Amino acid sequence: MRFVDEYRDAELGQVLAGEILATVEPGRHYKIMEVCGGHTHSIYKYGIDDLLPANVELVHGPGCPVCVIPMGRVDDGIALAREPSVILTCFGDMMRIPGSDGSFLDAKAEGADIRMVYSPLDALRIARENPDREVVFYAIGFETTAPSTALTLKRAKAEGIRNFSCMCSHVTIVPPLRALLDSPDLRLDGFIGPGHVSTVVGARPFEFIPASYDKPVVVAGFEPLDVLQSIHMILRQLVEDRCEVENQYARVVPYDGNVQALKVLSEVFELRPHFEWRGLGFISQSALRLSDAYADFDAEQRFAVPGVRVADPKACQCGEVLKGVIKPWECKVFGTACTPERPIGTCMVSPEGACAAYYNYGRFAREREVV
Amino acid sequence: MIESPPRAEETLPACLPDVGCITCGDEGIEMRALKVDAGSGLAVCVDPGGSTSEVDLGIVTGIAPGDALLVHAGVALARLEAEAVAR
Repeated sequence: MRFVDEYRDAELGQVLAGEILATVEPGRHYKIMEVCGGHTHSIYKYGIDDLLPANVELVHGPGCPVCVIPMGRVDDGIALAREPSVILTCFGDMMRIPGSDGSFLDAKAEGADIRMVYSPLDALRIARENPDREVVFYAIGFETTAPSTALTLKRAKAEGIRNFSCMCSHVTIVPPLRALLDSPDLRLDGFIGPGHVSTVVGARPFEFIPASYDKPVVVAGFEPLDVLQSIHMILRQLVEDRCEVENQYARVVPYDGNVQALKVLSEVFELRPHFEWRGLGFISQSALRLSDAYADFDAEQRFAVPGVRVADPKACQCGEVLKGVIKPWECKVFGTACTPERPIGTCMVSPEGACAAYYNYGRFAREREVV
Repeated sequence: MIESPPRAEETLPACLPDVGCITCGDEGIEMRALKVDAGSGLAVCVDPGGSTSEVDLGIVTGIAPGDALLVHAGVALARLEAEAVAR
């Protein structure tokens, strides 16, 4: 397949692995965080850690927007879905996320009208087809996904569709990274920057990381050669004592982002003063809500949403996993009380969550090591 | 507006380990534009598996039938260009 096969070439992968081995300095340990859940998935799926020297450690970051949704927001969505007039639409990603009293899937089984969609455009189509119902789109995702919601809301407004609204849980990438970097228990040498988020925001917003925290960042694509090349670029910066933002994914990421997308986002959304992230707590200006111009489409204004804060389960150590303080298998309930079939924490729900990705792929490599 | 086959949302893949997710995997699918409607800003696109769907072109410009696009959640994020891949 064009644009994909070029980046899965096994021989080139071995060449890059050899270059990484030749670059690292013996006796020095390198700890690199991949911010994005998509990278976590690629690393495990293609066994990229197996190609790295033992002194290069990958840490899985907070870049899965499903993993960071707090239980209270899930409960709010379920409360909305239980309104008899409401059809709640959402991506499949959200269906199994545990709230304090079950998931969207559980609520659907109990009779709530919850429908999975591939795109907000599909949700708008459901609204057109059901003029006597209130169709709510439960919006999640980073800046990659927010334009999709924004464009759909613009379309709904232009068409005068009054029975469509959005419960917005879109989050932004820079504030949680800053919160992580300010965390005293975090020890990292560099970052693999998020690829598709950067198609929208560009690579420039990450310049604060080398400037203020002396850590290199390489914005990376998602194919195995992309990830390997990015790790090599970070290691080269470290060995050469450089510290900057580099763009490995230049084939789709403009350094200054997508100007049209940023304009649409600023028209439809505004920053929330603060937002709760599962495991990370409240982070200032880290999420989006609908702007005043789109207040009529804001489900949180249209309906009585409980908005109750629910504490994370005590046994769950998702927060420490998200900060890279512990590895998934070091969590007390990993693989025992918490599995993909019966998740306690959100990192185990989404396949791109660090725990589920490790459970599905990485544990086999670890079992080999232990044996 | 371009007519495209409606998606049966009940048959969409759920959150499965080998499928990946739209937002948590920061999914980007290569699709090819089949028909472009400049008036509505929508295109019918086909994915590598042969499925077609409606894609919003609101944040990309100059898209023509035959172009390869990086698509996320029904929106084209960028046009894929062979020259850029070669670099």
